[in-house]
Amino acid sequence: MTMKTSKVTSVRNIGVGVLALLASLPLIYAQRSQQAGRGESVSRSEPAREPVERAPAFVDRADHGSIRHVDTNVRQRPVSVSRDFGAQRQVIVHRDVDADVNIRRAGSEFAFGARRHRLGAGYARLLVNNQPYYYDDGIYYQQEGDDYQEVYPPVGADIPQVPDGAVEIDAGNLTYYYAGGAFYAEQDGGFVVAPTPIGVIVPELPPGVVQVSFNGGVAYQFNGIYYQPIFVNGVTQYTTVLPR
Amino acid sequence: MKATSRILDFAFGWLRPGFIAWMGLVAIAAPAADIKPAVDPQADELLRRMSDYLGQEPFFSVSVEVWQDVRLGSGQQVQAGRTVDLQVRRPDRFHSEVHSTRRNRGMYYDGKSITLLDRVQNFYGSIPAPATLDEALDVACERFGITLPLEDIIVSDPYQNAMRKITSGILLGPVTVLGAPCEHLAFSLGKVDWQIWIEQGARPVPRKIVITYKDEEGSPEYTAIFSNWDFETKLSDFLFKFEAPAGSTKITVAEIKGKNEAHRNGGK
Repeated sequence: MTMKTSKVTSVRNIGVGVLALLASLPLIYAQRSQQAGRGESVSRSEPAREPVERAPAFVDRADHGSIRHVDTNVRQRPVSVSRDFGAQRQVIVHRDVDADVNIRRAGSEFAFGARRHRLGAGYARLLVNNQPYYYDDGIYYQQEGDDYQEVYPPVGADIPQVPDGAVEIDAGNLTYYYAGGAFYAEQDGGFVVAPTPIGVIVPELPPGVVQVSFNGGVAYQFNGIYYQPIFVNGVTQYTTVLPR
Repeated sequence: MKATSRILDFAFGWLRPGFIAWMGLVAIAAPAADIKPAVDPQADELLRRMSDYLGQEPFFSVSVEVWQDVRLGSGQQVQAGRTVDLQVRRPDRFHSEVHSTRRNRGMYYDGKSITLLDRVQNFYGSIPAPATLDEALDVACERFGITLPLEDIIVSDPYQNAMRKITSGILLGPVTVLGAPCEHLAFSLGKVDWQIWIEQGARPVPRKIVITYKDEEGSPEYTAIFSNWDFETKLSDFLFKFEAPAGSTKITVAEIKGKNEAHRNGGK
């Protein structure tokens, strides 16, 4: 009788244990899902879906080098580095303020009015507002006699790829690519020179700026726009303002 | 009465093993945050020893070589280097000079304000700051996006600072860093790993720190190598007092507009 009771108890314990395990599976699954960042449960009755490849996360920290403030100013957003800017195009997306990397920037040698007798092999002929222009490696030209004269980037000029070394600039909901003093906006698969947005911050001055007095301090003039120095995240950057 | 008792015995007899199994599974599935960090006691002890040493020194200066991974638009990862010279006098003085090929900037904290100096462009700007280093570096980072160089070693209690959010810590054993025998420790915050090499012997100072940002694409690393630790040379007031260089221009220091997660909120 005792052995029989013991057997019954064992079978009963195993049976109830298995039932409890089955009952707990949803709880464990939900926990694992949360840890994996999925958050939502998936109904089994839904049809199978193709896996979606998400853009990798980009963490916009003020700077590296701190454990204490590892979560300060952290902003997750899609990264655009997978975009095809051409084999040799470098678009700067990293925002570490102290990282000092010397990257070639197309257009950085621009000097307004400078003349060249010959353009590079990869130049392009453009028509902007019915005016002929030439574009070569981040710099715009107009013909002057037998020479090509460097001119400010004409608003509306359309090029297929952003210049090498362009810097990605956030301006609210818009993204610009900043190179050689021009702000390029993506349009119809190409990149168009946009009017300089006012109030945006750029990490470097355009090439060939002229220092001017402004509001009791200094600013730098390029193509009718002032670039006023400001410390952002502890390093000097420049905000675009209209001259008064 | 006996019948009721038998029914209860029967019911609890059936329910008890299931309840025990369920409780066990709930414990397995419990959130990681409820689990005490798995930190090797030896690693904990070494970190605490370093922290006590640094925290109790009234002043020090040190030179640091920093190497930092930078990700280019193409996805290629390259390294950027710089040197940092730090001077700290507790509880309310700090001065740093950061040099790289194209940058050269100073930072001064005198117990009342933090002043930034761009020596290349000859610009400077100041922000009001609280009366202690710990509070000042929090205000600098959380309101102005300014991370004081190597702030994790200049806080008053580097141990408490480092152990926030820690999920694991191990002692990897003795390693020599630039000729100095050290103990190699590795810690994890989950999304960020960090390692520290602490000098063996009577002066347990950090000789190297590596921070790996696993939550960023390519898991970039920040490496700091320390040299010329000096706890003897007294640091006078004038070292921390900013004097505007001739011809310099004062400019605005931008305040962060976005919502930051204050480090205090993320603590234990």
